Amino acid sequence: MTRRSLLLAAAGAAGCGGNRARRLNVFNWSEYVAPETISNFEREFRVRVRYATYESAEEMLAKASTGNSGWDVVFPSNSYIQPMASAGLLARLDHKRLPNLAELEPFFQSPPWDASLSWSVPYMHSSTGIVYDASVSPPPVGWRDFLSERFRGRVTMLDDPNEVIGACLKQLGYSLNSCDPAQLAQARNLALEQKRHLRAYLNAEVREQLVAGDVLMAQLWATTAQIGIDARPSLTYVYPIEGFALYADCAVILRESDRVELAHEFINYLLRPQVSARIAAAMRTATPSAGARRLLPPSLRNNPTLYPPPETLARGEWFTALPPAGQRLRDRIWTEIKTA
Amino acid sequence: MNRVRAIALTPGAAVIVVLFLIPLAITCAYSALTRGAYFGLGPPWTADNYRRLADPLYGMVFLRSFALAAASTAICCLLGFPLAVFIARSGRRKNLYLHLVILPFWTSQLVRIYAWMFLLRETGLANGILQALGIIRAPLPLLYNDGAVLLGLVYAHLPFMVLPLYAALERLDPNLLEASADLGARPWTTLSRVMLPLAAPGIRAGAVLVFVPCLGAFLVPDLLGGGKSIMIGTVIQNQFTTARDWPFGAAMSLVVMVIVLVLLWVGAGRRGEDLL
Amino acid sequence: MKRALALYAVAAYAFLHAPLLILAAFSFNRSRYTVWTGFSLDWYRAAFRDHQLREGAWNSILIAVTATTISTAVGALFAYGLWKRRSRWLSASLYLSLITPEIVTGVSLLAFYQWIFQFWRLHLGMCTVVFAHVSFCIAYVVLVVAARLRGFDPGLEDAALDLGATEWGIFWHVVLPYLKPGILAAALLAFTVSIDDYVITSLVAGVDSQTLPMVIYAMARRGVNPVVNAVSSVIVFGLGAMILISERLRAS
Repeated sequence: MTRRSLLLAAAGAAGCGGNRARRLNVFNWSEYVAPETISNFEREFRVRVRYATYESAEEMLAKASTGNSGWDVVFPSNSYIQPMASAGLLARLDHKRLPNLAELEPFFQSPPWDASLSWSVPYMHSSTGIVYDASVSPPPVGWRDFLSERFRGRVTMLDDPNEVIGACLKQLGYSLNSCDPAQLAQARNLALEQKRHLRAYLNAEVREQLVAGDVLMAQLWATTAQIGIDARPSLTYVYPIEGFALYADCAVILRESDRVELAHEFINYLLRPQVSARIAAAMRTATPSAGARRLLPPSLRNNPTLYPPPETLARGEWFTALPPAGQRLRDRIWTEIKTA
Repeated sequence: MNRVRAIALTPGAAVIVVLFLIPLAITCAYSALTRGAYFGLGPPWTADNYRRLADPLYGMVFLRSFALAAASTAICCLLGFPLAVFIARSGRRKNLYLHLVILPFWTSQLVRIYAWMFLLRETGLANGILQALGIIRAPLPLLYNDGAVLLGLVYAHLPFMVLPLYAALERLDPNLLEASADLGARPWTTLSRVMLPLAAPGIRAGAVLVFVPCLGAFLVPDLLGGGKSIMIGTVIQNQFTTARDWPFGAAMSLVVMVIVLVLLWVGAGRRGEDLL
Repeated sequence: MKRALALYAVAAYAFLHAPLLILAAFSFNRSRYTVWTGFSLDWYRAAFRDHQLREGAWNSILIAVTATTISTAVGALFAYGLWKRRSRWLSASLYLSLITPEIVTGVSLLAFYQWIFQFWRLHLGMCTVVFAHVSFCIAYVVLVVAARLRGFDPGLEDAALDLGATEWGIFWHVVLPYLKPGILAAALLAFTVSIDDYVITSLVAGVDSQTLPMVIYAMARRGVNPVVNAVSSVIVFGLGAMILISERLRAS
């Protein structure tokens, strides 16, 4: 026992054990906070925040699922909440420390993936649709347009198995989260055919190419698309007619964290209407907070890309957690698609 | 003298054992375990991961990687040989020319890949020049295909081919070449019957130094390939990140290593410790 | 024939250097696209102001210096030990570590760390990265120093012994001075390899240990960005100048 504590002390002295100063480690998607959000929090609560960003949920999960990543607050998408909770990776939320939860819209106060919000707090939500340039005529209406020859290879899809397979499933009229082998096989064939017309599988980096004019049409998230539209007004975002994916990024506290109180304060801070509104305005995200939405300028509050009308929203389907067998099947299909 | 030797060897041996052999052993162990429901891994012990590798799908991925690596090696060889000959024959300026070859290698590999991303995109310089010269009307899709990946791999590994080739050619006795010419051989004959066999060890060393990294390449296919086709390095990386299937990734890593070893053993001609 | 070779060499060097030079040229472009709109240092200013880049650069240098020091010291000693009398399995392991694909090394080190973390409550961090770098730098160091040792006359050691020198004395006063250029070259190689590493570092880095390649990769992943151009130019010319200067010092 003594030798172990000696070694620990030595390791700690060497800086391997982690700091004891008042600080918080936050791991979030890139471009998901306003420039002053973090510094304001640091100033008000007299903490130092280590804020790092990631480009894909997998990147974050790979680190968080080890159980000793060093992060306190991360932002998984809603479909990962239940699996992470069952795997014991998350700390239970104490609602007494989160008074600002009342600001959320009714739907998000009891969302399907976490009915009592015991593990997560919705942060921002969005959808996956199609963004295209005005020079594309006639304008695309749905996923079927990705099979068209007319774009001459200047279209892209997201580099994410669930997004691509999901779009194909929707095109075939099935559920976004289907794990039925027959349906998935059909989706795979569709994706393989689609791949012939594709330039590449790109995530957020396609936005810059859309603005530059390299790419004419892309499968993209509404948030990212809106930033692109701001930079190049000839771009338009459309919600596919066959249906599309909805997702929400939620703030969670990792069980491994020993700064749970501070993490709660941070999440409560993010739930403040002014803070949430600032982020939504600066980063063009859609906020689940009713209070924040009221504070937005009218052009953003009623922006059809970010807050579609209910009839459009009805065509959307939320991503859900998938059973392990379905996950395996989809992984294999993704490898098949990539290898072709 | 044994005590000095023991002391000299100990720290190095410790590093090798703790930071290389033990991790390798753990990877072997992981490859026989099972993936957890969503994350992690644990018992039962199983050979399932290796069985999954027999799937022709992964065989395809491996063959593609093999083909791309072989193509890169061949191109590096073709491009590097004349350059190595030039440097070996350049007299006083040998060192300067050699440094000029190595200099790009000293810079960051990411920078070098990014340079090609910058050049090859639709609105990049390559297309801009071609369009300005009137050779093409619409921009060519130069990026995000196998060609771009090949170009990236060759560009990243050319110095590794030139250096050993130069080393082998430098030891070549110029008198042999003169003698061959005096005996009436044409330049092509001199090249193929005299130069190439003597430079063969250099070619072999260079091929190894290019082929192995190309086979396990991950960054070039990732950034220049547009995610449309994956190589074995990407699949392995995916298992440890996206797919969260550590046992399978470990099994794949070990198989790749074994294949590399077999190739080297066959290709190196069993000459033993040519490096150390 | 000679002329053809020279022409070819010019083309080959152009191929090797042009992309980097073009990158550097466009880092001075005011516009972010390939249309030249004027000379500007804005991107360099943005690069130096970028907090992540600065931190990444600092971490990279810190890790590289530490890993280089450790691996050079350990590796040089190790090469000397191997030179005195070969050890089959140690040489074989070293060779194996050299040819192992980077992804495999990174993945096995990650697995090793995760296994250790089950017993000691530690995190991934600067230490894990430094140890990872030492593990792959050491093979390069041994390679270079061993090559240098091949030219050493063992008779010198025997002569020193006959003259009454101690074992350590021989090492310090006879072998080491001879090895110095080799050790310097090895250190340079280790430093470059360490600073440039992405794959292994990205797998074993922790919360506080973002390195420069990781930051550049994240930026490159998001698309073409003139700030990356600026950073690239600084790296290329900075490192290049450092190499040339050190080579000059070595030759003199």
